[in-house]
Amino acid sequence: MNALADEPVHIRVTGLRPLQMVTLMASLKDEKGNVFWSRAFYKANEVGELDLMQTPAFGGDYVGVHPMGLFWSLKPKKAFQRLLKKDVMNSPFWITLNLYDSVCFEDVITDQVMASQVVQRWFSGPGLQRVQIREGRVRGALFLPPGEGPFPGVIDLFGGRGGLVEFRASLLAARGFAVLALAYFAYEDLPSDLLEIDLEYFEEAANLLLAHPKVQTPGIGVISVSKGAEIGLAMACFLKQVVATIWINGTNAIFEFPLRYKDMVITPIPTFVERMQLDISGAMRLRHYKGDPWDELNQQSVLPIEKALGSILFIVGENDECMNSKEYAEQALHQLRSHGRNNGRMLLYPGAGHLIEPPYSPLCYASPNKNFSLPLLWGGDPAAHAAAQEHSWGEILKFFRQHLTQTRSKL
Amino acid sequence: MMIQLTATPTSALIDEPVHIRATGLPPFQIVVLQATLKDEMGNLFHSHAYYKANEVGEVDLERAPSLGGDYVGVHPMGLFWSLKPENILTKLLKRDVMSSPFLVQIKLYDSNLPLIHIPTTAPKVSLTLERWYTAPGTKRIQVREGHIRGTLFLPPGEGRFPGVIDLFAGVGGLIESRASLLASHGFATLALAYCDYEDLPSQPEKTDLEYFEEAVNFLLRHPKVLGPGVGIVSISKGAEIGLSMAIHLKQVTATVLINGPNFVIRIPQVYRGQISQPLPFSPQLLSINALGLAEFQHNFEEARNEANENFLLPIEKAQGHFLFIVGEDDKNLNSKAYAKQATEQLRRNGKNNWTLLSYPGAGHLLEAPYSPLCCASKISSLHLFIHWGGEVTPHAIAQEHSWKEIKKFLRKHLLPVVTSQL
Repeated sequence: MNALADEPVHIRVTGLRPLQMVTLMASLKDEKGNVFWSRAFYKANEVGELDLMQTPAFGGDYVGVHPMGLFWSLKPKKAFQRLLKKDVMNSPFWITLNLYDSVCFEDVITDQVMASQVVQRWFSGPGLQRVQIREGRVRGALFLPPGEGPFPGVIDLFGGRGGLVEFRASLLAARGFAVLALAYFAYEDLPSDLLEIDLEYFEEAANLLLAHPKVQTPGIGVISVSKGAEIGLAMACFLKQVVATIWINGTNAIFEFPLRYKDMVITPIPTFVERMQLDISGAMRLRHYKGDPWDELNQQSVLPIEKALGSILFIVGENDECMNSKEYAEQALHQLRSHGRNNGRMLLYPGAGHLIEPPYSPLCYASPNKNFSLPLLWGGDPAAHAAAQEHSWGEILKFFRQHLTQTRSKL
Repeated sequence: MMIQLTATPTSALIDEPVHIRATGLPPFQIVVLQATLKDEMGNLFHSHAYYKANEVGEVDLERAPSLGGDYVGVHPMGLFWSLKPENILTKLLKRDVMSSPFLVQIKLYDSNLPLIHIPTTAPKVSLTLERWYTAPGTKRIQVREGHIRGTLFLPPGEGRFPGVIDLFAGVGGLIESRASLLASHGFATLALAYCDYEDLPSQPEKTDLEYFEEAVNFLLRHPKVLGPGVGIVSISKGAEIGLSMAIHLKQVTATVLINGPNFVIRIPQVYRGQISQPLPFSPQLLSINALGLAEFQHNFEEARNEANENFLLPIEKAQGHFLFIVGEDDKNLNSKAYAKQATEQLRRNGKNNWTLLSYPGAGHLLEAPYSPLCCASKISSLHLFIHWGGEVTPHAIAQEHSWKEIKKFLRKHLLPVVTSQL
């Protein structure tokens, strides 16, 4: 009833008529007042019970046995809204589960609710601490697990939407990591637009994290998605403080604006506005928009991944409609292999889209982005995307524990 | 050199292709072409495509590939069939098919102009095209004879023409757009209403085939209609009726069935005392897609698996010919499976009076060529949005191809064969 948002919930219904058809519906209102909802149609067994761990849904937002289907298939009533928890410390998402005595497939439900339950989904655990960071140039929020520590440190980077997204950082902290959710533009006194990537800013953040008394030394991890993953990969290449990097649906080269680190400037590969495509919903598919990192004219923009000292895990959604992540990850791994390195590994998820997030996060079809006049299409088939989120989260935790925990013995 | 935009022909039937060219551009410059249409209700539709001029500064849509936008690749008519409504649920529908065309504006802009600025920016060059639903000389006659309600379209010219009855889906009212086009191609076509139109019941409790028989007889009696048989072009629920007409009425010699069932849907059919019951519908088999649209194509699966053959319409009894047109991406009816079962039934009974055209990527609402894909609609009686299915480009290709096949099929089976004897 009351759990962390990355924990599964076991839903059971008893006391129904044998073989009764019912509708299970989930709904929630986010902090901006947007309503999200989902439903599935189930048939009770001979003793009037249904158990979502075993009973298949016949139809609705998903089909088949999906114990957490009502959560990951939540859809916004207003098109193109993305479910994102802003206040991760003081309140959960309240999800109302309603049971109806028939197959309710219309948008307006006139049936009486037979039974109802509210489930709380928290993004932080008891004893978790949130510290607003405003030191030097660094802006963000540090999440510390309860206890003395020291804990393995991780920097969490989101993508081109800017601002500060905290929910993944807080969930990771609930799993025992000291996580700095790091903003890099459109937040507080940071530049409102991203015009260049100054890697020294990210180095400052890494050093700040390592200097914290509750953070383990000498190395930190980075978890990064989309544009954040381009930065995360650059950090892995140039900053020796980074020993473990998770790259989710990013690039292996610098795009759009230059990257600067001390004296070095990496110029970007151009993007081609004419290659954008419009989806039937009116959202924009940017998958083909970026220039080709394999092109010999673009080689100076490709990140020198062979210089990375730490380990890198590439998490790829094969149905990413925003960027050609699979190709970028494959090129990066090829580059590692051709330099005799084997510190990179890819997890490729068929059917998953761009926004691979912690488990049970609903698939967002498309959402607005301040840099574009139309919503961006993210891609992903709901059930496959949900499976990818569930699996990759376990791999993320395993990867960080393996590469960041001090107590690992060396042979 | 001045930038010029040309299109040939500037005024044509909506199923005729247009050749669009831009000249006088800087060599290799990338431009964006936008098409805009405002329908009779004031709804706006837009499409965009990015093209690169060649070494002499030309873009010829018959040769140049679109690099991005609403479609990619070489598609001379792409700007028309990729038109998207500002509201995703709006369907492009011409109400007055006789006295006015749709006006389509084609505009050219620099590619670096963000799409959102297009409405407030003057194009470098533009032109307006007329897209008509009737050829000059086509006659439109309101029909209120006996029980029949509909509109008869007669081709221009003297003489008699093969007769066709056009049956749309069960949404009610009267859609005339396909009938007027068929008439423009030489068929005397009766757009026949069957529910929610004039004094016809708004929600009929049964489908009485005698009404449709009356319509067939009316058509064959008409002095401008060439007998002895008539054709039917029908879609969705209309195709259920079209199939039943072909089975029971020997005057029906050519029947086009577009994305229809091979069983009765929702309300029973009656014909001279014989009742055919509808196949049960399982509401729990509804699927909701990632955009929240309702997909009904599985809702008959339970009943189909359990039903005996009595529920299937006895297609083998029909004497005429069939053209099945199937959109494989139909999300409203499992058209592919139903057509397959119907043709297997014909085969088992030793019949080969049919052709099946199955189009990958095409959806439920297959219409005249260059019609924009309508992917979802709100049905007023139901509080939900129905997904029709179809991917934009394959659906457009299917519409173009199937329309040619429909006309060929009707001519083959309705026009007398002229044989010369040596």
